[in-house]
Amino acid sequence: MRLHLPSAVRLLAGLLLAWPLGMHSVHAAAADSPDRFSRDGLPFMRKHCADCHGDDLQEGSLTLAPFTDSTAIIKGRKTWQTILRRIESGEMPPEDRPRPKQDEIAAFVKLVRDIYDAYDRTAKPDPGRVTVRRLNRTEYNNTIRDLVGVDFSPAEDFPSDDIGHGFDNIGDVLTLSPVLMERYFAAAESIVQRAILPSPPPPPKRFLSARYTEPAGKDVPQSKFRPIATDGEQPIHTGPLNTAYKVPGDGEYIVRARVYGESKDGQPVRAALLAKGAEVATPAGDDDVARIAGHSVERMRPMLILETFDVTATSADKPQTLEATIPANIGFERAAVALLKPAEGQPAVKLHVEWIALEGPLDTRPRSHRELLAVTPGASQAEQTREVIERFARRAYRRPVSEIEVDRLVTLCDDAMAEGLSWEAGIQRVLLAVLVSPKFLFRFELDDRPQSPEPRPLDEYQLASRLSYFLWSTMPDDELFALAEKKQLTANLDAQVKRMLKDPRSRQLVENFGLQWLQLQRLQSFSPDLERFPTFSEKLRDAMLRETVLFFSEVVREDRSILDLLEADFTYMNETLARHYGVVDTMGARAGQKPVRPGGQRIRGDEFVRVSLADNQRGGLPTQASVLTVTSNPTRTSPVKRGKWILEQILGDPPPPPPPNVPELEENDQAVLSGSLRQRLEQHRANPACAACHDRMDPIGFAFENYDAIGKFRDKDGEFEIETAGELPDGAQFAGPGEFKQVLRERKDQFSRCVIEKLLTYALGRGLEYYDRPVVDRIQKQVADNDYRFSALISEIVRSQPFRLRRGLESAP
Amino acid sequence: MKSPLNLSRRTVLRGMGAAIALPWLEVMGPVAAWTADDKRATTSPNRLAFLYVPNGKNMVDWTPQTEGRGFDLPPILESLAPVKDDITLLTGLTADGARSHGDGGGDHARALAAFLTGVHPRKTDGTDIRNGISVDQVAASRVGDQTRLPSLEIGTEAGAMAGNCDSGYSCVYSSTMSWRSATQPLPKEVNPKLVFERLFGSGGDAARKKRDTLRKSILDFVREDAADLQGKISRNDRQKLDEYLTSIRDIELRIERAEKLPPVETPDVPVPQGVPAKYEDHLRLMADLLVLAFQADVTRVCTFVFANEGSNKPYPFIDVPEGHHDLSHHGNDEKKKAKIRQINQFHVRQLAYLLEKLKSTAEGDGTLLDHCMIAYGSGNSDGNRHNHDDLPILLAGKGGGTIDSGRHLRYPKDTPLANLWLSLLERMDVRLPFLGDSTGALQGLSV
Repeated sequence: MRLHLPSAVRLLAGLLLAWPLGMHSVHAAAADSPDRFSRDGLPFMRKHCADCHGDDLQEGSLTLAPFTDSTAIIKGRKTWQTILRRIESGEMPPEDRPRPKQDEIAAFVKLVRDIYDAYDRTAKPDPGRVTVRRLNRTEYNNTIRDLVGVDFSPAEDFPSDDIGHGFDNIGDVLTLSPVLMERYFAAAESIVQRAILPSPPPPPKRFLSARYTEPAGKDVPQSKFRPIATDGEQPIHTGPLNTAYKVPGDGEYIVRARVYGESKDGQPVRAALLAKGAEVATPAGDDDVARIAGHSVERMRPMLILETFDVTATSADKPQTLEATIPANIGFERAAVALLKPAEGQPAVKLHVEWIALEGPLDTRPRSHRELLAVTPGASQAEQTREVIERFARRAYRRPVSEIEVDRLVTLCDDAMAEGLSWEAGIQRVLLAVLVSPKFLFRFELDDRPQSPEPRPLDEYQLASRLSYFLWSTMPDDELFALAEKKQLTANLDAQVKRMLKDPRSRQLVENFGLQWLQLQRLQSFSPDLERFPTFSEKLRDAMLRETVLFFSEVVREDRSILDLLEADFTYMNETLARHYGVVDTMGARAGQKPVRPGGQRIRGDEFVRVSLADNQRGGLPTQASVLTVTSNPTRTSPVKRGKWILEQILGDPPPPPPPNVPELEENDQAVLSGSLRQRLEQHRANPACAACHDRMDPIGFAFENYDAIGKFRDKDGEFEIETAGELPDGAQFAGPGEFKQVLRERKDQFSRCVIEKLLTYALGRGLEYYDRPVVDRIQKQVADNDYRFSALISEIVRSQPFRLRRGLESAP
Repeated sequence: MKSPLNLSRRTVLRGMGAAIALPWLEVMGPVAAWTADDKRATTSPNRLAFLYVPNGKNMVDWTPQTEGRGFDLPPILESLAPVKDDITLLTGLTADGARSHGDGGGDHARALAAFLTGVHPRKTDGTDIRNGISVDQVAASRVGDQTRLPSLEIGTEAGAMAGNCDSGYSCVYSSTMSWRSATQPLPKEVNPKLVFERLFGSGGDAARKKRDTLRKSILDFVREDAADLQGKISRNDRQKLDEYLTSIRDIELRIERAEKLPPVETPDVPVPQGVPAKYEDHLRLMADLLVLAFQADVTRVCTFVFANEGSNKPYPFIDVPEGHHDLSHHGNDEKKKAKIRQINQFHVRQLAYLLEKLKSTAEGDGTLLDHCMIAYGSGNSDGNRHNHDDLPILLAGKGGGTIDSGRHLRYPKDTPLANLWLSLLERMDVRLPFLGDSTGALQGLSV
């Protein structure tokens, strides 16, 4: 027999692990007397395995000689996982040896599994070990946005992250290639260039000739100077002359006006500069406003009277410039120049205005620049440097930073300045270094005893990061940091979870966990046959995804039962999707049918609206177009894929992969293979090798045959009638998709367990192991006791040992 | 049966990163020039590329009836007529690592993972990914210091979008061809614009130099900074940090090479803008970039994955609206087989485009293709049977005069595919005692 090298090596490795440990005495199974394995398992092994895998002949470098009792079986768990797989798959014993009977095999496998189950029930809790996680693309983008304050998807060009256990945040598979490292550099360079401007540009200036200011009209004189008078009849002759600006709003500006005055008595004319702002804290009161001349004055309110002036210039040859500062944060929208009313009994006066100009915002540094470089006024530059660096590094590394770490970064800044660069450019270099440091790119959970197998709690900062990346896919916010600093986070875990789920950032949980769990990312690259499905478009693709995200988000936000994910009486649609679903209004009325319920608003445009469904054609994930489409082939539906999807993603009971060397289908005679898809697949299932699994998958898939390959409802598949009724191997019957969703809903234990396992995998960033089972059991019970509310699921996961504790090393049982 | 010594050596090699593989290789065997006379060193270097197509082939339409010279091109290969004398068809090679070996389903994942490594990848959906170093990376670690980039990894489909890609195998296996070490897959670049920038930089040489100088100072910093982590992270985390440090080192080496090597002239072609909408355009643009890379000698080693293994991409533009993978389980339905053939032909047409382009590029006393070894094929033979023996493998180019092309060679059943890789490495002046499951260099390629 040819020795298959790699598997041999693997087995050998497993044995090396198991062997020395097997020598220690273990008491776990000692109570089992006489030992179950010695009594019931050994005879099978002696009969079927020992010839080739004994002490003498160790085929594939495997000897089963040490495995004489339950204790040894428990110690050799890794080896036995492989052994069981091979026995179950029928690969062992090999073809040329006598075959054990099917029930003999089943009994042996069950015996070994029972030994593990019994052991696991009493085993010491093990939080498992999470391999350090690199920020994935989504987390990188979000973290940069929150850390630096620039939002431009710098991770766009990164290679895609690999996926393990169904998710893209699994430490073990998040590798770092040289190409990615180059991209990290390029991204960091462009981030710091956007975030900090060492030489900010001068403030922008805008001039407007007075003849183009408001009040406007055909009677506005087109002269160089535009006059306003305190005794005019019309707004255009009295002002105030004003103009609207669209500005970022939070900055300081300077407004200027070029003017000269004209009065009968030669006294200086009184004028004012005004600013209108919706957020002016203490706007000018009625008395003050009453002093200002002009019919348009009311439209300047709420206003600030910036400054009043005596206009001494009296001729167009020698005009004068009025100037005032507009304070920040007033919601500035309009600036004006106005005449003040002359004193009681005095003659009317005129003001001639050449232009109004606005300069600003005076501070042209981006907000990120101001925030990142904010310093304590009056401190020395050295102190300010430390302040800026310490603050940034602490947030970037998501933990307190040591003196040494800060010193090292300060040196980097000092060196840059010694090269002749500005302080700002020095800080830029520091930021660059931090952004390519492993301490930022990876979420290390530093530990003084990394090799100790003893479980211990994470520190509070590490917990904050686990929480924020789990629920928001980004770094902790100020509140989490503050709690961690005070060591109050563990104590406030529930309240924080509730707060975080209400926060808009929890949409990330839906988009990252939700879409990956449901495998909907595949929808992006799915291309149905446009000849068969001409209504498919990019808009429809986007709408499909969006429906699922909005629907799922409501379950999260409103803390609904996770069972609502399976079946619900509401969803979200825009016009594109509504047309696809044949729905016309928000009460779920169907096109061409009498509305079941009144009061519906027509669904129009790209905006999504919440729709109350009037029938059970839709509602719940399984009948959303997104799910129905990704589980189809490009040309037709695939009941097999749909069935597999339900088993895998909803019931957590994936069918085994098709056995290797599936017997080939007989030459397909077209005459035999006509008929509906159902009939054809039933012929397929006539093969007993296929039937075992397809009896589970196919009936489920057929329940959804009323939906075509892009999820559109149909009554017929081409010329064939659609039969959606079916029966599961356990006898559960259903007539169609509506009833099938009921069947799913009744299997709440199975469904909730499936969601818990997926969510726990996502939360931990590692695959689940046998020792996680008691944790999943406990969470499942708690979730059931809390009416399957979504927040209960999250809270229980966050409170669980694997989430809050860590250990070093792999601890073998 | 293999000797225990052999076994342990393999084990060591499988577990090693490329960085430490290099001195090991030196110890393992003297590196000698391929030919005794040194003429070749002053002429053109040899280039090595590996092109992968998923889901196997319709083998009856791929394998020529006769052996040796003068074989008739079977239907799938028809478009290669203009370069028929430049190709060598190799029948009978096997990727044993892609077989189940007790791991059950997952032939697609294993087919790509084992293709260039000769190793049976560990079945895992994420925990402890393990494969072997791939032949391109062995070559890159050996000759990569002579060019600006040691190797180039390109493709048209990014890593798979969701879920476990094939029966309990992480998607990394079915989407990655190049493995720098047993644990470090190298993701491929699918955006032609980014490939171009990687090859020729952006913003000109001066900007690059300035950027490199800054990067170097930052690299020194982060290495020192990373040392803080020592003793505070456990073994698995340590492995991740090593990946980081290796990548840092790679950038340093790249910068050093850029300073040392003659400047690369940015070719006078339009810079690609993003990913073309049409698959064919995408493939051709990537092929163009591969030609540019070899022509400018920016790299001498490249892997190019036409589509991820198990890809269910439909090909409506050649009247195949069905998904490729769905179709490949054709159940011997003639209609489906005909469509599979159409897809196979489509891919080979893109290969022909690449080869003709290489052939029309003059180099030294011949053409660029003369100085290339382009291996094209799949780790699956018949997509319906998922068998990994009798693989469709084609070698194009004359390997600097070391390959007597224009022939169809048949090898004994179960001849390891890795034997071919070993013999291609020899032609890159890399002598390796074995790669994965190889049993010796493949004979019969030269005259």
